Amino acid sequence: MCDKCEDGSLLHTPLSRRQSLDLLAAGGLAALLAGLGMGQARAAEPVDGKLRIGYLPITDASALLVAHAKGFYQDEGLEVEEPQLLRGWSPLVESFAAGKFNLVHLLKPIPLWMRYNNSIPVKIMAWAHTNGSAIVVGKDTGISDFKGLGGKQVAVPYWYSMHNIVLQMALRSVGLKAVIKAEGEPVAADECALQVMSPPDMPPALAARKIDGYIVAEPFNAAGEMKAGAKILRFTGDIWKNHPCCVVCMHEADTQKRPEWTQKVINAVVRAEVYASQNKKEVAHLLSRDGKGYLPMPSEVVERAMTFYDEADYQSPKAIQHKAEWHNGRIDFQPWPYPSATKLIVKALSETVVAGDRTFLSKLDPDFVAQDLVEYGFVRRALDKFPDWRLDPSVNPGNPLNREEVIAL
Amino acid sequence: MTPGSQFLGTLRRRVAAPLAGIAVALAAWWMVGHVVGANPATANFAGFAPAPALLRLGAMIGHGDVVRSVAPSLFRVGKGLLFAIAIGVPLGVGIGRNQTLRAATHIPFQFLRMISPLAWMPLAVMGFPSWEGAIVFLIAMAAVWPITFSTAHGVQRIDPRWFKVARNLGAEPWQMLRTVVLPAVTQDILTGVRLAVGVAWIVLVPAEYLGVTSGLGYAINDARDTLEYDRLAALVLVIGAIGFVLDGACLAMIRRFGWSLEA
Repeated sequence: MCDKCEDGSLLHTPLSRRQSLDLLAAGGLAALLAGLGMGQARAAEPVDGKLRIGYLPITDASALLVAHAKGFYQDEGLEVEEPQLLRGWSPLVESFAAGKFNLVHLLKPIPLWMRYNNSIPVKIMAWAHTNGSAIVVGKDTGISDFKGLGGKQVAVPYWYSMHNIVLQMALRSVGLKAVIKAEGEPVAADECALQVMSPPDMPPALAARKIDGYIVAEPFNAAGEMKAGAKILRFTGDIWKNHPCCVVCMHEADTQKRPEWTQKVINAVVRAEVYASQNKKEVAHLLSRDGKGYLPMPSEVVERAMTFYDEADYQSPKAIQHKAEWHNGRIDFQPWPYPSATKLIVKALSETVVAGDRTFLSKLDPDFVAQDLVEYGFVRRALDKFPDWRLDPSVNPGNPLNREEVIAL
Repeated sequence: MTPGSQFLGTLRRRVAAPLAGIAVALAAWWMVGHVVGANPATANFAGFAPAPALLRLGAMIGHGDVVRSVAPSLFRVGKGLLFAIAIGVPLGVGIGRNQTLRAATHIPFQFLRMISPLAWMPLAVMGFPSWEGAIVFLIAMAAVWPITFSTAHGVQRIDPRWFKVARNLGAEPWQMLRTVVLPAVTQDILTGVRLAVGVAWIVLVPAEYLGVTSGLGYAINDARDTLEYDRLAALVLVIGAIGFVLDGACLAMIRRFGWSLEA
C-alpha cells in the first residue's frame, strides 16, 4: 500500500472503526474519503485526451478559468471542455477521484489527505494563487485585534484549510486557545470557539450574530463587507507573507503516462497566472457574471475581492500592516510551489485543533511530503517559458525559487 | 338544507378557506421579512420578503430566466420519475404478491429508503459517466420508494377471491396481472407517484449541486453564493408553483383512474 515510504515515516494504518465514527461525526473530508474507501482509487483514464476542469465559484479558481477564457489551452494545442462549476469541496474531490476531471484546484491541505490517508494518487502541480483571504469580524462586536477574539465564535470553511491554520496561529500568538464546543456551551475568556460553516452562510450568520467572525477566501470577505457590514480584522496575506491557499492538482497517472500533454496544461495555467497577476481588474470582470460568467457574483464584488487593498481604507482595525514592506496585493498570482511553505503547512497542521482524527498527520514527515506530493518539473519548465512570473509582487526576483516563510502576527 | 345554504357551504370550502390559508401564509412570510428587515444588522438580507421576491420573480419571468431554469429541471425530474416508476411498480407488485420476497426485502429496503440523497452522491458521481445521469439517479433513488411501497400495499389489499375467480376462469399470470392486479392498484400507484413527485422536487436542489450549469437547483445555489435572497425566494415560489401543478395533475389522474368499493 505504501510503496513510497522508503523512510518508514509514513506508516499507513487503516482507520479503526471508532476513528471512522469520529471522522464521520466531524463531517469532514475524512468521512467523505473514507466513504470513497476503494484502496487505490481509480485514476483518470485518458479516454479521449480532453482536458476537463472542475472548480468552485471562488477567486481561487482564477488561473484555471483565465486560461480557458483567454484560449491559452487551445494555444497549447489542447482540447478542452467547458469548465464545470461545483458547489463544494466534497463533490469536487469525489469527481476528481472518479476521473471526471483531470485538472482542479484544491485547498492546499486536501491533496495531503487524499494522497496519504486514502492513497488517491494526486499531485500538486503548482500554486493556484497566493494570499486572497481575510479574517472578518462583525461591525458591532467591538473586536479590533486578535485578543478581542477571546470568548467569541469564529467560523472556518474547513478544518483542513490554510484558513484554520492561520487563524489558530493568530490565536496562539495572543494566548487564546482554539476550542470546539457544543452549541450553547459557554466559551471562556481565554478561548475562541471554532466551527465549520459553508462560505455562503457566513455573511448572513455574521449579520444575525450567530458568529462573531469568520475566515474564508474571496469573494465572501468582499461580500461580507458590502452586505453584512463586516470589517476586515486582518488579511491573511498580511500575516503569512504570500502564503499559498489553493493549489493546482492533477492525477499522478497523467504526469507519468502523458508528460507532454501535462506540460501543455501547466504551461497554459502558468501563462494564465502571469496574465492574472498583471491584469487583476480585467480578470475580475472577465470571471464575474457581467463578463463571461464563470463566477455567479457581479463584477463589483469580484473586483473588490481582487484589487481593493489600500491601507487607508483599512485603518481600523489595521487590516494591512506590511504592504509597504511586502508589496503584496489582496490576491496575487504566482505558480511556484515553494517547498518551505509545504513543510510549514505539514508542521502547522499537527499543532492545529481540528475535529475528528488526525493520527495520519503525526506520521507525516514534512521533508518527505514536500518532495513526494509536489511535482516540480512541469511548473519549473513552464516558468522558464514565461519568465514574467517573476514580476508578480509575491516573487523575490533575486532568488525566485527559494524563500524563507515569514509570519508576522 | 336549502340550496342557498348548500351554495354558501361550497363557497366557504372552495373559495374562502383556501384564500384564508394563502392570506395567513403571506402574512407570516411578510412578518418574518419585516422582522429581518427592521434589524439594521440583517436588513441587507431581507430580500426574501414578499415585495422584493415578487418583484424579482416578475423580472426573472420577463428575462426568460424562469423558463431557462425550469425546463432542464422538469426534464430531470421527469426522467427520474420514469425510472422510479419503471422499477418501483414491478418491484411493488412482486413484493405485494410474494410473501418470501416481501420478507427478504423488508429489512434491506427499510435501510435503503432512509439513505439521504446526499449520501448517495459519491456513488452517483463515480457510477455514472455523465452528470445528468448522476442527477437522474439521485432523483430516482429517492422517488422509487413511495411508488414501491404504495404499489405493494395496494397489491396486498386485493381481495384474494378475485384471484380465485380469475384462476377458475383460466387466467394466465400475465392476464392476471393485466386484468386483476394493475386495474386494482392503479390508484395506489398514482398515490405513490404523487408522493414521489414531492420527494423528487426536494432532491432536485441538492442534486443540482453537481456539475451541471442549468436548472432550478443550480439557480438556487447561485442565489445563495451571491447572497441574493430575493432571487432565492422567487425561485422557491417557482418550485412551489410547479409542484402545485404537478400535484394537481396527479390528483386529477387519481380521480380519473381511481375507484373505491363504495362508489
